[in-house]
Parts: sequence; structure tokens; C-alpha cells
Amino acid sequence: MGRARQLVFLGWFLALIYGVPAYQSAAEILRGRAPQFLEVFTTTPTRPNLRAFEHRVEDASLVAQAVRPWMQDAWFALFRDAGEKVVTGREDWLFYEPDLRYLVEPGEPGEPFEAIVDFRDQLARQGIRLIVLAIPGKPSVYPDRLTSRVAAGRTIRSSTLDLLAALRHSGIEAPDLFDFFAKLRREPASSPWYLPQDTHWSAEGARRAAAAVARRIRDLGWIGPGPVRYTERPVTVRRTGDIARMIRVAAIERHYPLEEVSCRQVMRQDTGEPYRDAADSPVLVLGDSFLRMYETDEPRAAGFIAHLARELGRPLASVVNDGGASTLVRQELSRRPALLEGKKLVIWEFVERDIRFGTEGWQKVRLPAAP
Amino acid sequence: MVFTTHIFLFYFLPVVLLLYYLLPRHRNAFLTLASYVFYGWWEPWFVVLMMFSTVLDYVCGGIIGAPGASRARRRAALLAAICGDLGLLAFFKYYSFAAENWNRLAAVFGAGSLPLLHVVLPIGISFYTFESMSYTIDVYRGIVKPARNFSDLSCFVSLFPHLVAGPIVRYNVLAEQIAYREHTLEKFTCGIALFILGFAKKILLANPMGSVADAAFSAAAPLPLDAWVGVVAYAFQIYFDFSGYSDMAIGLGRMFGFVIPKNFASPYLAASITDFWRRWHISLSTWLRDYLYVPLGGNRRGLRRTYVNLALVMLLGGLWHGANWTFVAWGGYHGVLLAFERWLGKKTAYEWLPRRAQVAATFVLVLFSWVLFRAASFHQAAAYLGAMFGARPAGDAAALLASEMYTPHRLAVLAACVAACFQPMEVYDWVERLTWQKAVALAPLFLAAAGAMFTQTFNPFLYFQF
Amino acid sequence: MSRAGWLWCALLLVVVAVSCGRKNSAEVDAEVTSLGTVEVTAQVEEIPGAFPPNDLYNYAYVLKYRVLKVHRGQLPGQEILVAQYNPLKPRTTVADDVSGKVGGHVEAFRAGDIHRMALAAPVDQFWMGGIIDKYFQQPGVRYWAIWTNPGSR
Repeated sequence: MGRARQLVFLGWFLALIYGVPAYQSAAEILRGRAPQFLEVFTTTPTRPNLRAFEHRVEDASLVAQAVRPWMQDAWFALFRDAGEKVVTGREDWLFYEPDLRYLVEPGEPGEPFEAIVDFRDQLARQGIRLIVLAIPGKPSVYPDRLTSRVAAGRTIRSSTLDLLAALRHSGIEAPDLFDFFAKLRREPASSPWYLPQDTHWSAEGARRAAAAVARRIRDLGWIGPGPVRYTERPVTVRRTGDIARMIRVAAIERHYPLEEVSCRQVMRQDTGEPYRDAADSPVLVLGDSFLRMYETDEPRAAGFIAHLARELGRPLASVVNDGGASTLVRQELSRRPALLEGKKLVIWEFVERDIRFGTEGWQKVRLPAAP
Repeated sequence: MVFTTHIFLFYFLPVVLLLYYLLPRHRNAFLTLASYVFYGWWEPWFVVLMMFSTVLDYVCGGIIGAPGASRARRRAALLAAICGDLGLLAFFKYYSFAAENWNRLAAVFGAGSLPLLHVVLPIGISFYTFESMSYTIDVYRGIVKPARNFSDLSCFVSLFPHLVAGPIVRYNVLAEQIAYREHTLEKFTCGIALFILGFAKKILLANPMGSVADAAFSAAAPLPLDAWVGVVAYAFQIYFDFSGYSDMAIGLGRMFGFVIPKNFASPYLAASITDFWRRWHISLSTWLRDYLYVPLGGNRRGLRRTYVNLALVMLLGGLWHGANWTFVAWGGYHGVLLAFERWLGKKTAYEWLPRRAQVAATFVLVLFSWVLFRAASFHQAAAYLGAMFGARPAGDAAALLASEMYTPHRLAVLAACVAACFQPMEVYDWVERLTWQKAVALAPLFLAAAGAMFTQTFNPFLYFQF
Repeated sequence: MSRAGWLWCALLLVVVAVSCGRKNSAEVDAEVTSLGTVEVTAQVEEIPGAFPPNDLYNYAYVLKYRVLKVHRGQLPGQEILVAQYNPLKPRTTVADDVSGKVGGHVEAFRAGDIHRMALAAPVDQFWMGGIIDKYFQQPGVRYWAIWTNPGSR
């Protein structure tokens, strides 16, 4: 290669490695700020500080921010690759990678088991009963939409069932929603029980699960039928699935059309108002975003809680914490003791992947003593 | 600092290059300072350890090389340097491992236990202690003269391109270059090309293969096909990661005028394990040969002793990679295979096969060793090997692994890895005659790799334990 | 120009950059002086643990602040617990369709930094989603940070 071409090659490389920080610094100066990289001179050089500085520089990089969507878009166009947290299934179904990892990787249910038993014991001392609801992740119910290795319509056996068996063995009421959804899948249905581009169940899936749980509560006789009558009103909502939204690239998001979800909004028969929680209910529902779906999200009052209330004939109290059903919801009970006042039954819902990946793990949380 | 990060590529490297070429003199001192910043970026106090090792070897090298130094004095200085360097390595890398094992034995025999200290492993310590130790040994052997000054030796030990992931460069290779080296446009552009290729290997090939390997190795019970693909992916990950780092190191060295020898020579084209070790991590295998195998007697003391020496060198070589019995077993496995080939008269048991089949057989033997290398414990290694042969019942969920392992992107990368691995041209040789066409081809490759770096969150650094 | 000349030029450029880009140490805007019920300048005393990833869920994270000055409203003490929405994001881009009105000019959260904030309480009335509160055993009100700007003593 001749000298001139060597110089061109050299110039191109240098332009790239100098251009990125120069552009960044110029943009920061134009915004009236000192170039961010200079922070390194005012940072105490400790490992955490240096790591934090490095992450700040990466996060703030304008070039990276500009290039990232292009790269993701190109990767998606070339390989149908939607990012490291998204697994693209068959027929445009999307799956959340931790949901899959939970099923595939080995895990010991020791910590959750102990935390659940501890919680049951603390509630029992206050005369409150507990029902544990482990919700199957989407790959447990729709493995055939993930890979052709699983025959159409089949579900797989999740290790969560071992935890549920251990809980039942310890005297904890833990309905099996895995078998329930496996049976549902064998029913003819116009739409799936989980949303194709979301981690959650469909509105109809939530409604049917609520009916099954209510049936179990009635069978146990823990809560008698309530005085409130509710009716249902059909509503259709259009939404972008949370997995599709997580990709955060508009071009990829556009590839997935809005999902149309048929919901049944729960209305009070006497007032015609949509369902609302009641803090003084004897039933408290704790859980994660599976409870939030269609309940506080659009169309409201059409999720698991509203339908459980309709089935039980009484409004319920609820504490919902996205991704935080393992420990955070119980911390909230610890912080706000009034939430347990007058309660007879606590229904604790969590999605199965949180058995391993729940925010803050499965800590034992001390509840305030009964007043 | 890691080469494949934003902070290195767009801040550290440009600043160091700029100041280096603007400085009219004291360039070695500046490179040393920059290397200390590079090294201290992980943990600032690690720099003190490296300085200690350098000072020790500088002083001992000086004593050994002093005119008229007595034999006893020279030996004492050599011993002090080796004890100091190995002591540092032993404590920081192997103390916890030794204490855990000792305590297990002590529990059986009722002896006193060692305290379990939380010793943080300084990154790259195995590389720089070997390098600085080789300096003192070479001075003792009369192969090199003692360093002209402390700055020269500290520049050699700390030189950031090869500091944390090799190649393990000997002092005699760099001594003259530290004293005088040419900075030419050709060398610089060649360095850029090597850096780009190494960078692309790491980002575009090794990282995606790492995801595939991680998925397979972390599965509770993978299906046989997935287990085989997983270990093949790991073989590609470690090769492209390690050789990619070496290429980047050599490339960066050239940008600063240094010529560092190549570290890999298409190792998966080896037709025997002996051949594999001539091609894999060449700087380590030659270091072990010259500073361990030969002093132990090599092959000069009869066949039986040769086998023992081979096994011992490989066991220690395994331990060098990490403080875990799985690494020792990995080294032992290679040692046994090397001894077996030696016993057959430097042949393999599959010598009669066509060359391609020999390469394939060697690759499979190496794959088994990678299971040991990758597994966190013997239990996991045994379970994984069992899964490869269908000896373990795969769970219901094992079928789901396919969705993660065989995405179109990962299959494409797997195919690219096969194509890149099983051809004889290493990038080191490819850039020797850098043409305009090659340079033009490198431009989009670098842009793609840098772009992928912006999107990847999975960017492991495999050498923390080395 | 000689090499030394270039070197001096590079150093001069850095000095110019630093002086041109002097950061506004305290930002006062209409939002911080009007939103919420309390306006305060406070120092981040502690960020307990690391912020978890926000890929699927947005959450609020409770930080401990030491109050330096109360500009508006009243506070019960010198130490307050403030829930920051989605703290991994710069305040300029943090607002979304579920957060309600939140924002400001703070780019990132670091222990020791001083913020001027518009707050409201209790957090439960403003944010129904996940709250990571490592001080959950500590009684007292949790404030909701509506607007967070860099501040100064």
C-alpha cells in the first residue's frame, strides 16, 4: 500500500477515535457544561468511582445513542435479533429472556420456600390465611411458540411445581395454575391466554385464572360470598406489548402491530361505576405486574383483581409492585401496617421467574405485630 | 481497562497516542505512566503490587548482572526474585484455593485450619509476574544484560498492550526496542489493521459465541446436540477472545513502535495435541518450555522422566490459568495426551487417518478439555460430559434451549467462526502485506464492531482469573 | 510547529474547554420553584446498593438526603427519604406515560451530589408501581421527587 493510501487509512482511524470524544465534548460545551471526561480528574480514584465514571461516559455518549438504534434495527432486519433480553419465537411471538432462563437453568427453591413459610407463619399469628399464586411464565404455557422442538399445543413441566408441592406439603394453599393453563390451552379459543408480544397473560387469561382462584377460595370456605354485585362490560384495548416496547427501537416496534385485547370491564351493578379497591376489605391481594395488567392499566378494572372481586362479590384491597412481588410487597406491608388491619385472607401472587430473579431476592420480612 | 470498551477506544487510546507522539523525549516514561493508569483503572492499589514486582526484579537483576558478582550472591538474588514473584502470585492467586483445600484436609485429620481471607485477585498478575521473573532468570543465564535503568524495566513489565492478557513477552524481545525503536507509518497502519481485526474477533465472534456457550453450560440438563454445540461455541469463544486480545495487543504495540511476536497460529488446524500446543498461546507454551520443562531436564533424562516432566509442566500450566482443580485437571489431561503422543514416537493414535480427519479428531480431544476448562467444578464438568453423550436425562425445559442457541444471528456467527478457524491464515500474517483492498475492507468491519460494542451488554473479560 | 508547541496547544485546548464549559452549579427553573409542596436543596447522603436494571419495569428508588436548605414548605427533619423515579435515566428523559410529571436536569445520581428538588408526599399517592425502599424498616414519610436539578450549598 502506498504512502498516500496509508495516510488515508491512518487518517480515517484517527478521525474515528478522536471524532467521537471531540463531538461529545463540543456538544457538552455548547450545552454550557464542562466536557464530561474531565470528571475523571475530580473523581477520587477508587474502583467504584472509576466504574461509575466509565458507565456515565458510556451512557452519555451521543454517538453511541445515535448509533445504537441503527445497529439494533440492522441486526433485527438481518437476523430477527431484537436484543439480548428478547428471544424471538415463532409466528412473531416475543419472549423475555429471564423467563426462559428461569426454566432452563437449575435452581434451588430454598430461599423462596423459607420466606413464604415465614410469611405464612407471621400472618397466621394475626389470624390471617395465605394463598400463594405462582403464575406460569409465558414459555411454560406457550413453549411451542418458542421452538418447534415442542409439539403444538404442548406445555412443559416447570420446576416451579416442585416449590408448589413443597409449599402444599407444609400446609400452604398453593393452587396449580400450570395445570390450569395447560387445560385451557386444550380448549378452543379465539385468542391466546398470554399476549404474543408481552410477558403477561391476556385479559381473558387473567379473568379465567381469577375465576379458578375464587372457586378454590369458595371451596375452602375461607371467605363467604360478599354482598356486592358486579356486571361485565366488553371493552377492547390496543396496546404495545412490554417486550416489544423494551426493545426501544421505533423501527422494530413498528414491525409489531398493536395488540388488540378483548377485555371485560367489571362494573358495580348498583352504581354502574367501574370496580374500585376497598382498603377495608377482608381480602388483600399482593403481587406484581400480572395484577396491574388491565386493572390500573387500560381499560382499568378488567384485570385479575377486579374479576376476583366480582367472583367473590366484594371489593378487595391490593398492593401491586412491578417486578417486586418476592420481597418489596412484603416490605410495603411492614412499612404500612394499616394494610393488614381487618384482613382475613392474603393472596400473594408472583410470576415464576421471580423465584430466581425477584428484585431484592426472597428476604424474610418482619411484619409489625397485630394491634 | 479493557480494549473493547468505550473508555479505552475513545478516551484512553487517543489521549495516550496524542501525548506520546507530541512528546519529544521521555516516551518510555510516559508509556509507563499511561500503563499504570491503564492497570490502576481496575483497582488503583494493584499498581503498587506491580511496582513491587518490578522493583524487586530490577534490584535483583542489577545484583546478578553486576560485574564481579560472586556466584553465591547471584544465586541468592535470583532466589529472592523468584521467591518474591512467586510469593506474590501464590498469595494473591492461590491463597484462598490453598486455604480451602487445606481446611478440608484439616477437617478430616483434625489439624489446625487456615483463616479464609478475602484476597482480591489482581488482574493480569500471572502475566506480569511471569514476564518480570523471566527477566531476572535471563539476566542470570546471561541471555540479556540488566536493564539500563528502572524506567526501561518498568516500561517492559507494565507496557499496557500486553499487560493483562498477554502475549507473555520476554525482556530480550523488547529490551532493544525499549532502547530504540522505529516509528513508521507502515508499522502504525499495520498496527491499526491488527487492532481492528482483534477488536472485531472479540466483539463480533467471541461475544455471541460466549452467549451460546453460557446458555448451554448454565442449563440444568441440555440435550446432547445442544451440549456439543455449546462446547464448540466455547471453543470458538475462547479462541477468538484470546487471540483477538493478542491481536489487539500486538496492534497497539505497533502503534507505539513495538514489534511483539504472534501468539496463535491457527490452533484448531492442529493434527495432534503436540501440534496444538505449538499453535495455542505460543508465548505461554514457550515460556513453560524454557523456564520449567528444560530446567526440569526436558527430554534429556530418559523417557520416563520426560513423561513426568511433560505432565508436571502441563499441570502447573493448568494451575496458572486459575486457582481451581478443574484447571489442574485440564492441564493434566493435556499432559497425559502429550506424554501419550511422545510414547507413540511423537505420533497420534489416529495418524493413519487422512489429515482432515486428524484435525477433526484433535479438535474433539481439545473440546473435551474445554469442558473441564469452562466448568465451575468437577461435578458440573461430569454432568456436562454426561449430557454430551446422552447419559443424563434432559428435562422438559431442555427443549427450550434451542430458541436461545440457534437464533439466525448465532448460527451465522457459528458459521463465520468455522470458516475463520479452519483456514490457515492468522490475522497476524494477513496484515503483513496490507493492501489497499484489505484496508478498505477493514473500515466497515471496524464500524460494525464498534457499533455492536455500543449495543452489547455481554462483553465478558475472560482473563480475570488468569 | 514543534512537538512541544503542539503539546502546549493540546493543553491550552483542554483549559479552554474547561473554562468554556463551566457547569451551572445550581439550576433554578419554574418547575422546581412551583411543583409539589416542598422545595429543598439537599445532598445525596446515601444510595443504598446499586440500581437494578430497568429493562422491563420502571421503578422508584428511595435515596437518603441530608437537607441543606428548605426553600418552600416544611420538612420534619434534616434527613429525608426521597423516591426517585427510574434513577438510571437522566431527569430530562425520565418522564413517561406512567410516571406523571417528573423531570429536572440532573444527569445521574451519585452519593455526595447536591440537588435542588420539588417534592411531594407521600410517594404512594403519586406512584403506584414498584418502589425499592431499602429503608423500609425506618418509619417516616417517603417523598416523591417531581423535579430534580443540580444544586449548590
